Formats: sequence, C-alpha cells, structure tokens
Amino acid sequence: MNPPDTENIYLPKLAVLDRVVDDIPEVKTFYWRFEDPAAQAAFQHFRPGQFAQISLFGVGEFPASLPPSPTEKETFFTIRQVGSCTAALHELKPGRKFAVRGPYGNGFPMENYQGMNLVFVAGGIGLIPLRSCIVYALEHRAKYGRIQVFYGAKSPGELMYLSDLRAWEKSAGMECHLTVDRAGNSWRGHVGVVGSLFKKPGVEVPVDNTIAFVCGPPVMFRFVIKDLLALGFQETRIVSTLERYMKCGVGKCGHCCIGVAYICVDGPVFTYEQIKKLGEDI
Amino acid sequence: MKARIVASADVLKIVDLLRARGYEVVAPFCGRGRDSYFDTVTDENRPRVRIHLPNPYYPPKRFVFPHIERLMAVRAQNGDLKMEPTYDERPRAIFGIRSCDVAGLWHLDRFYLGRDFRDIYYEKRRKNLFLVNVVCTDPARDIGEDCFCLCADTGPAARDHFDLQLMDLGGGEFMAVAGTAAGEGLFAEPIFHKGTAAHLERRHAILDAVRKRFKTITSWFSATVRYVSQGTIPDKTWEEIGNRCLECGGCTYVCPACTCFTVSDRQVGPGEVERVRIWDSCALSGFTRMAGGFNPRRAVHDRRNRRFFRKLAYYFIQRELDMACVGCGRCAAVCHGDIGMPSVVEMIRRAEPEPAKK
Repeated sequence: MNPPDTENIYLPKLAVLDRVVDDIPEVKTFYWRFEDPAAQAAFQHFRPGQFAQISLFGVGEFPASLPPSPTEKETFFTIRQVGSCTAALHELKPGRKFAVRGPYGNGFPMENYQGMNLVFVAGGIGLIPLRSCIVYALEHRAKYGRIQVFYGAKSPGELMYLSDLRAWEKSAGMECHLTVDRAGNSWRGHVGVVGSLFKKPGVEVPVDNTIAFVCGPPVMFRFVIKDLLALGFQETRIVSTLERYMKCGVGKCGHCCIGVAYICVDGPVFTYEQIKKLGEDI
Repeated sequence: MKARIVASADVLKIVDLLRARGYEVVAPFCGRGRDSYFDTVTDENRPRVRIHLPNPYYPPKRFVFPHIERLMAVRAQNGDLKMEPTYDERPRAIFGIRSCDVAGLWHLDRFYLGRDFRDIYYEKRRKNLFLVNVVCTDPARDIGEDCFCLCADTGPAARDHFDLQLMDLGGGEFMAVAGTAAGEGLFAEPIFHKGTAAHLERRHAILDAVRKRFKTITSWFSATVRYVSQGTIPDKTWEEIGNRCLECGGCTYVCPACTCFTVSDRQVGPGEVERVRIWDSCALSGFTRMAGGFNPRRAVHDRRNRRFFRKLAYYFIQRELDMACVGCGRCAAVCHGDIGMPSVVEMIRRAEPEPAKK
C-alpha cells in the first residue's frame, strides 16, 4: 500500500542489487532487495501495475514498472537502457547499492476482474508491466476465466520473457500468441502487427465478460484499440498503463500531468474511456 | 477576529517585535526605479523597510518553496550509502506580504499539504511561518497597472490565512487585524490601542474606494473557466497564444501559485552528492521530454494550453478548491509576448467558442 503521509515522501530506501540477467538487447532484469527486511516486507504488498522510483545517486531518479507479481518471492525490475539513469543502473555490479521508493500509483484492480476472461495485448517492452498481472492471474487461476496473451515485437530476438511465456503456456492453462514485425530465418511463427493475431485462424478472442489489457508504444496502442473496438469491446473494458517523465511519483512535481490527470497518483492505470477524456493526447 | 489601532510611527516596530521573538523577518525594500524585493531584515537595513511600494516581481513564495532546495545529502563510505535529509524549520515572518501572495501561499498549502501525500520540506518551512499582510491602499505606489486581485477575488484585503493584517487608515493610523492566536498575541504590546467604530467605518470607506482604483477589472474568469473546462476554446486561439510565447518560463517563475519542480543530483564533494529540487516550468520544451528523446507535448501552444488549463480548468479548481491564479498580475508584467493571465482571459473571451466537445 502507499506509504503513510507523515513520512518524507522523497526519501528512498537503500536496496542491494543481487543479480543481473540479460533479457533482450539493451534490456536487463535486475533482481534486488531492500537492505532493511521490514521495508522489503512492506513493499511486497504492491499491486500489479504499480511502479517504483529507482535512485542512482549522483545521476538521478527514474520511475519503473514493477514486473513481478506480489505473489512472487523475488523483487526485480526489467529496464531498457535509454537515458543516463538507466545506463547507470545497467553498469551497476551485483552487491552494489542503490535506492528505491514506492510502490506508487493505482495499479490494476485485479480483484474486480474476478470471474472474467483476461486478454493481454502487449508490444515490445510493454509486456513488462503486464507481466505482473499475468503472473498474478495465473497464481489465482481458478478465479479468472480464459487467459490469453497476444504479444508482438520487432524481431524474434526482441521478444521478452520468452522462457516464462512458454513455461506458463505449458503448465498454467493460458494461451499465448506471438508475432514479430520482421522474421529471421529461424522464426516459424506469425509475422505481422499484434492486431493481426486476433484474426489468425484458430484464434478466438472472447469479447463478452472480458477485460483487455493493452500496453505498448503509442502507434501500436492506437491500432490495437481500433481492433479491439471493432471486435466489440466496450471502452470501459479496455485498460492500459501510461508512462510519462516523472520526478516525484507522488503528484507534486507536475511533470506527468496529462490533461486532468496526474499519471503518478491518478494512474498509471486508466480505462480507455478515461484516457479519451483526459483532454490531451497520450 | 480582533482588531487594534497602531500609530504609523509605530508600525515598523512590529518588525522589531517579531525579531525579538526569534523570527527571521523578511520584508520588502525598494531598489531602483520600479524594482522592489523581499529581503531578510538586519539592524543595518531595518530603517529602509517599506510599507507602501510596488509588490516585488519575485514573490515571497521562495521562503516556503525555494528556487533551489536541498532534499538530501548522500555520502558514500566503504561501499555503503548514507542518506541525510535536510530541513529548514527556522521561525520566519514575512512582513508586508500582499493579499494576492497570501492567497498564493494558501494555494501552495492545499497543493503540497493536501491530497494523498504531504510534502515534508514545505510543511517544515510553513509551520513556523508568521504572515503580516499589508492591504494595498495606495493607488500610486501599491496598486500596479497589471493588478487584478479583484477579479481573482483575493484582494485588496485578504479575508483569511494571515496572522496579522495591517491597513493604512490614513491620518497617521493603521488598523491591525489578528487572523490567528499568534497574531492576537502581539496585541498585548503597548503599541496597539483599542479602536472605535469610526475606525471601522474608515476601513470600509477605504476598501470601497480602493476597489474603484484598480486599472484592470475586466478579467472574465468565470466564463473563461467554463470555456477551458468544457474544451470549447478553438485550437486557433491556443495557437495564437502559443505563437506569442517566447518560451522563457518567466510567467511560471514569478507566479506565486506555480508548484512544479524538477529534481537533480549534483556532486558537492568527494564521495558526496546532494539531491536538490529546482523550480521547473511547463513553458520550457524539456518539461515533458522523456529519456530517449520522445516528447509528448512538443508544440509550444500545447504547452501554453497546459499552463492555462492547469490554472483554470474546473477539474483542478475542484481538487484544490480554488483556481491557481491569485490576480497578482506578475505574469502580465513580465511577459514579453503579452500573454499574461489577463490578456489570455481576454483572448479566450473574445474567441468564438466551438460547440462543446464530448
């Protein structure tokens, strides 16, 4: 849950980097834990879809989605190297310290989706925030209907969490459909944009009583929304998580404000109906 | 609220009383020409403290929200990191703060201390702050060309949120009104005398007269708030406003109700960094730029739209209980493109509204 209001909301807590795993090019997964076991226990109650602020002192602070599910034992971030802070994190050696504060944001209301089918549509590193929901839903498998994952990347080498996806598909009763924009010689799967998977022979997307999670680059987002609406999804049944430049994560610095909403405190999770009413392009 | 009368010759003794009580007193001084500024009162500059002068362009906001403020120092020692937050809690009094700026501080209070999270740096500075409000009564020296507190409903006399309010009644007398128990505590001092009904009448007469002396009273805020909130302002109008923006950020730096900041780490010694927050401005193009270079709000009129939307949209008024404009007129005075708040309100009012968007 969010920290109580008497605390210094800008003061992070020290964390230790345990190990680093290469994911896809430029993207690594960082396993870490708080130095203080009490902080770790408190943090563990985050909701899927929430985010945290990562501090690399001397370089700065940046927001990052939480890819693990609260039901998992280990905490980790999956980070692409884009700017100076993420570069500093990529250079950090296991055993070294950095700092984390959070969790922040509203997260996905997974309890409200009980008894419904879940359709996850992700593009590129958009799978990172959705991974939390997928693992959470599989952990509570009996409470949800059908679970489908539609995931696309530019090339086969850029598909994230591939071994996880394969493992869940085998063991946990979930359908997984992958696609790439450009296939190499070794790729035998589907080629095309993510939306084209909905029409692939043998794929049947449940529309009634279904929540669609969409996360990916803005272009992909626009086209997937169009496809989902064409399939008959209601705007309130499409949810996404937005991203913005953020300094504080707690609704004070003003950077992440889109139209009427602060992404950090009112979001980052919004339904498509809410996104349309923000009053500014996302 | 209790009121007392204090002689003009004694009114600056309030500064001394506060200093004797351990406050760092900040008061307005005159520079050259129109220039005026707030500064800490010392024995040396004490005789130059002014009551009637143009309101300084640099608002007293910086005493609760400095333009650069250290959040914490971080020291690296043998692979370990030590974080030390630093706070400023010294008792401070702002003498001569105008009603618009009192409203500005009240807006900051609701923004930083309300909502889900409390900003502890602001809270610690704010809790020991004593405000001596001065009512603008002198049309030649107090009330500027660009003042429009009447339209923003914040002045000329603040109704609340000060500790002590001073008003020049003329004839060598000031009326002091206590807004808090701390303000009322000062009334035990011998410089304060009981007033009469005649004093109260003079106060009302002066306020009535002052209201008529404002040069700009044509801001149509309520209509503008409605147009902004309903999204009925044509894109063309926003573009016209944007075309006149020089992207200097001046409007946000002089605004007593602007709240945005950025955070930066800087090296201060071997193995030691400090994390500071610095005022930031939605007028600047880097404000929304993300790592990797993508900027969702690229066009200048998008950013201008942003500032006025943030200040005037009904949604934010609902959240903060008031619009984020206090009518001080500073943005109008500093803007080279003449798109301060009064001009923008005027441009929006004159624009042919589009039919309401769903």
